[in-house]
Amino acid sequence: MAAPGVTTLTDVDAGRVPPALRGILPVLIALPVLALAEVLLGASPFATYLLSVVGVNIILAVSLNIVNGMTGQFSIGHAGFMAVGAYIAGVTSLSLKEVALSFLPVAASDQVLFTVALLAGGTCAALCGFLVGLPSLRLRGDYLAIVTLGFGEIIRVVVQNTEAFGRALGLSGIPQYSSVAMVYFWVFLVVLVARRIAGSSHGRSLWAIREDEVAAEAMGVDTTGYKVRAFVISSFFAGIAGGLFAHFVPIINPGSFTFVKSMEIVVMVVLGGLGSTTGAIVAAIFLTLLPEGLRSLFGALGAEGSLAQKVDQIRMPVYGLLLVVLMLARPQGLFGTKELWDVLPRWLPRKKKGLT
Amino acid sequence: MSTVAAAPAPGDALLQASGVSIRFGGLKALTDFNLTVRQGDLLGLIGPNGAGKSTAFNVLTGVYQPTEGEVRVAGQRVNGWVPHQINHLGLARTFQNIRLFRALTALDNVKVACRAQGGLHPVRLGPMAKAATAMRNYRDWWRALLLTPGFQAEERELTRQAEHLLEVMGLSHRRDEEAKNLPYGEQRRLEIARALGTRPKVLLLDEPAAGMNTREKADLMVLIRRLRDEFSLGVLVIEHDMKLVMGICERITVLDHGETIARGAPAEVRSDRKVIEAYLGDSYLESHGGAA
Repeated sequence: MAAPGVTTLTDVDAGRVPPALRGILPVLIALPVLALAEVLLGASPFATYLLSVVGVNIILAVSLNIVNGMTGQFSIGHAGFMAVGAYIAGVTSLSLKEVALSFLPVAASDQVLFTVALLAGGTCAALCGFLVGLPSLRLRGDYLAIVTLGFGEIIRVVVQNTEAFGRALGLSGIPQYSSVAMVYFWVFLVVLVARRIAGSSHGRSLWAIREDEVAAEAMGVDTTGYKVRAFVISSFFAGIAGGLFAHFVPIINPGSFTFVKSMEIVVMVVLGGLGSTTGAIVAAIFLTLLPEGLRSLFGALGAEGSLAQKVDQIRMPVYGLLLVVLMLARPQGLFGTKELWDVLPRWLPRKKKGLT
Repeated sequence: MSTVAAAPAPGDALLQASGVSIRFGGLKALTDFNLTVRQGDLLGLIGPNGAGKSTAFNVLTGVYQPTEGEVRVAGQRVNGWVPHQINHLGLARTFQNIRLFRALTALDNVKVACRAQGGLHPVRLGPMAKAATAMRNYRDWWRALLLTPGFQAEERELTRQAEHLLEVMGLSHRRDEEAKNLPYGEQRRLEIARALGTRPKVLLLDEPAAGMNTREKADLMVLIRRLRDEFSLGVLVIEHDMKLVMGICERITVLDHGETIARGAPAEVRSDRKVIEAYLGDSYLESHGGAA
């Protein structure tokens, strides 16, 4: 019953909101909520850090889901686009460090500069997405996987050998502008964009490409165009995620954006269910908190610090095992193409179906 | 620089293949194929397995490029065009092995097709017009992301059109059902509904009756005629079922080994010796004592 394209267009009740307002209503709701969360969380640096990491991973998973889930293409170089965003945003912020917009208070001026840096990173990542996607998305099949894999490695090697990006040592001293509110504003934005694409005619065209590319083309869908656009949007948000990441970790180096990171994001998307936005969110939260949880657990059991650190090392084998079990038990992922509200128990309130 | 051809006058060829040949390496899949479809035509394309019928369909719809000859749709030469561009000129098809968007609902299957015709996709344009279309395309994505009232109205309009087509094809009760869960006959009808969603001038049906029982075939014959009249189409049918082809097609082209061996009214084709030999086999000739 819950086919991908049927669910409502917005995250708000479609019936009661005047059409003109429906476009921006979620934003109006989100802003005060985020501000409140920021005030409440301001005290705990660990909570702030953890929530930021979770948020960045959600952005990565949800954006990758637009390509891997909705469009059915297979990109495995998302960390490459994240790296582009992180380094471009980082360098932008570093070079604007001394600049302050005199007509604004310092904090506000910082946030404006931060936004500029983020957008610069996102735009560069989107541009890379366009350049990588245009030739490889013309072809059918697994070419995209190979090209994105290569792209991720190229970016890493380029960064490692560029003085401006700090080579293998990485880039440090990037102003720590990021905040939970900012990260989750972008989380909110990427989810909104993903859901609105999914429910719009563009999303239907993407689903159609995923289901049968030949038929989609025969029915007048410009398959290459749609695939490239989905890929560009996905890359843009990966770049934003990288930019955010660069502004709350003390140092970014090429080691943060390896193939392992790309696979981590792919695992999140597959675990959540290819094509399910809420699935990607749940999986991203779960897989980000899992190592933290295990670490705390080992700590609580009185294990030595070194053992707790091993959690990071066993993470990938655990992911691998998780994937194998998942493929055997539930190959469509946790939610399949359905969204959270489609799989909730019957007695919980459900979203109304359909736009009209 | 010229964009979409002007609306053709009745009687003009909507689809015209002249001297089309395709070679795959040394294999001649289609040789000197000629065909003209006008509005209101109901043509048949028959031939034994491997005769090149589906190859002919694929070259008409742009999946294959002709090695020789040219294809014109609505007066426009379409050699080198990709399928979605040809589709925008008014050529829609169904597939021999049903190719629905299986996980999408019946309604969404049709809406995909309706949408693609929003006039937003470039056919073959000059650089200026191309840039303008690209701008419109990006504006269109923003409209979807910002959920503007105009966009919402457009979505409602799409839903209305798709619902209408489902109704025409008698599929209204399956509106929200996933395509893969529909029974076979209804999947075939949904494919036709989807093809109609692209607002075609010419409809190509690839073995529409395959796998249907006699009753369903009879219904299908009535339906195809009705669609032609209601949507002012030209229809080209590939079919194995001789009864169906003879029953509804006004003119028939017969292919064998990629070559056109006969064309004409059903009665003429039926009595053509070459056709009987190629299509129905020598045994038919023997048991029926030669051509009528």
